[in-house]
Amino acid sequence: MLKLLQRLLQRLFLLAESGANAVFGDRLNPLYHLGALSYFLFWVVVASGLYLYAFFDTSVTDAYLSVERITHGQKWAGGIMRSLHRYASDGMVLTMVLHLARHFAFDRHRGFRWFSWVSGVVLLWLVYAAGINGYMLPWDQLAQFTVTATAEWFDALPIFNGLLIRNFLSAENVNDRLFSLLSFLHIGIPLGVLALLWIHTHRVPQARTLPPNPHMAALGAAMVVLSIVKPALSLGPADLAFNAVAIDFDWFYLPTYALLYRWSPGALWALVGGLTLLAALAPWLPPKFGRRELRAFHVLANPDNRIIPVKEDESLLDACLRDGLAMPFDCRNGGCGVCKCTVLHGEVELGPYQESALSDAEREAGRVLACIAKPVSDVEIEYEPSGAAVRPVLVHEAQVVSMDLLAPDVMRVRLEVEGGGRIPFYAGQYINILLEDGQKRAFSFATAPHVPGPIELHIRRIEGGLFTTRVFTTMKVGDRLRFEGPVGSFFLREEGTKPVIFVAGATGFAPVKSMVEHAFHAGLARPMVLYWGTRTLADMYLRQLPEKWAAEHPSFRFVPVLSDPRPEDAWEGRTGLVHEAILRDYPDLAGHRIYACGSVKMVEAAQPAFAKQGLSPDDCFSDAFKLAPRIHSKDADLVRLGGRP
Amino acid sequence: MNAPLRYGLQAVLYAAFAATLGYFSTSPAFEPLPAGHALIRLSLNHAGQRKVACRTRSAEELAKLAPNMRAAEDCPRERAPVRVKVELDGAPVAAIVATPAGLSRDGASVAYRRIPVKAGTHRLRVALADDAAGTFDRVREEEVRLEPGRVLVIDFEPGKGGILLR
Repeated sequence: MLKLLQRLLQRLFLLAESGANAVFGDRLNPLYHLGALSYFLFWVVVASGLYLYAFFDTSVTDAYLSVERITHGQKWAGGIMRSLHRYASDGMVLTMVLHLARHFAFDRHRGFRWFSWVSGVVLLWLVYAAGINGYMLPWDQLAQFTVTATAEWFDALPIFNGLLIRNFLSAENVNDRLFSLLSFLHIGIPLGVLALLWIHTHRVPQARTLPPNPHMAALGAAMVVLSIVKPALSLGPADLAFNAVAIDFDWFYLPTYALLYRWSPGALWALVGGLTLLAALAPWLPPKFGRRELRAFHVLANPDNRIIPVKEDESLLDACLRDGLAMPFDCRNGGCGVCKCTVLHGEVELGPYQESALSDAEREAGRVLACIAKPVSDVEIEYEPSGAAVRPVLVHEAQVVSMDLLAPDVMRVRLEVEGGGRIPFYAGQYINILLEDGQKRAFSFATAPHVPGPIELHIRRIEGGLFTTRVFTTMKVGDRLRFEGPVGSFFLREEGTKPVIFVAGATGFAPVKSMVEHAFHAGLARPMVLYWGTRTLADMYLRQLPEKWAAEHPSFRFVPVLSDPRPEDAWEGRTGLVHEAILRDYPDLAGHRIYACGSVKMVEAAQPAFAKQGLSPDDCFSDAFKLAPRIHSKDADLVRLGGRP
Repeated sequence: MNAPLRYGLQAVLYAAFAATLGYFSTSPAFEPLPAGHALIRLSLNHAGQRKVACRTRSAEELAKLAPNMRAAEDCPRERAPVRVKVELDGAPVAAIVATPAGLSRDGASVAYRRIPVKAGTHRLRVALADDAAGTFDRVREEEVRLEPGRVLVIDFEPGKGGILLR
């Protein structure tokens, strides 16, 4: 039922938006700026209200007369201001309701958006309250009706039980204090609206709070013309001894009051309360019982080479904007095509969009509209940054706090970031050590993200290597280093249930250590096996660690492989190339996920062999072979394990 | 679509938006009261008599009480509900039993009814009972002329003469 209603509304919106695109153009389509238009109308209401308040008299005898003086005594100023005040308030209701309906129709009220949705529902009621309260101020027949109807409606609540209406039984019951109270409310409620609007909007990254200038100019002009053609006027003065038989009624604000005398106050409370409750609970309807896997993924955004978490039901655009990426956008509603990007890897839900914004050929080529596309797996995208430069990777200063020789040519170096701060990173990512001459050397985090304290790196000595030679010769505890990071797209994908095979070559063990420790910490229950290949036993510098993992975690298995064991190694385990050991053990790799980290040569040999044995390209991760052809930025270093230049 | 046509259509759509606001901000007119009708508002806020009358405590009873609690009279708090009957031209149009407020039912009885009636001259009879027996001992009956839209308030204030018609 709910889905049917959504589909119907969605079709209506898409149809209307298509027509409006033809008339206004896809970037100025007012249906794409309903929230911002509501903001604009709110400011018109505030500005005109402040003007009216300067001339309004808050007394029972002069409230009506002062409004009449404003309306007729200064027709071209106060008169227009009063009309603008009313029509902008009416317009605000219309744009807000459409804004809410649109988000409902396109299912953009679930997941993390629930807060904006619920605050929007509350905002709508606050605006209603402010508007109805405003109609009480001129103290004309409509004000009389509004005041008495409100009292009668609220008197149905047990807390009032018929007492409120006693304030409006006859003229002697009404005094100046009523108008002071009403004025106070008419300032206080809009202030509440403003505060809630700020909260409501704050949750949306880079939300626009004003529509494009042409809209403001045209809408403002249209309302001024309307104010001149049909100025807002008061009805006759209030007289509590008489009830107006027919009232010029504002159907934007007062439709519930029309039902008050057709139904009963209690029935109206039931209707309004029920609808409000239904609207507030809409993000969770229909209810889904039982535990459900959270559909939160990661997006690797190029050319920034940045990994960004995407919340459940969040669009690619919102996630990227939230992380400060310069992704271009305009309508944010699948209408203009400005936010088009290419999905290089993974799957997304395209979402409903105008065909003019994304052609079939573009869709075939992997292009999507980031503003409406939601990931359904981890994804890698490429986009063209708008104006602003690609966001630079953060540079840190660090001090060497320990150096341990793990093998004859492997040094464990621990770096403490200046200020003792922790760097958030994903298990599998790396840092670039910045050398004095501008060169960089990449090393993976060997520590898991949750582990506090210094960053651990495993550095293998490379013959003639500029930095690694320094590590093994002149570097000492207390030395200072500069590095940038975290960078890299090689990280543990936590979604899915496929068994994981880690393939590590030599110091390729470092990122695997980070990922496995993170997996244990995160409680990943799927089977994991580590194939660690080195030349000799001495090169397998932390062999006791994966052995300990295997002993402690039934889901983890460790397979050491030596390619060139020495006689003194007395090796009786697996021998040969590490990836060949996997190929022998897994004749069918379909249904597995492989993380390979080692030399570029190793992964280049392994990738086609794995693919031949059924491994899906989407389940094979290694920066060395997956990203290399796709990264265009010179600064987007690949993982060069072991500090290879 | 060429530019002049687009601008023209934009103007039409803005005008339609403005016209929608202009029309529905005052129209169609709403009739809170059917044509040719007047309105009777029956509203009262009155504490009924005590359900059980006060009684003088005997000397023995007083002696048993703490010195600070020795009130001469024992007055149970609960009050009687207030009953109101309204008849128009001999036909009942409202019959209310307003229970006293408060957990001990010792507060005022509050009631409100909105009674639309046909305009014209009517014989109005209001009777009120505020004792435990429900004796309608306060009655006001008179002829009232109600023009269309006229609001007649029925109230009860013992200090101002009992049942009031305003």
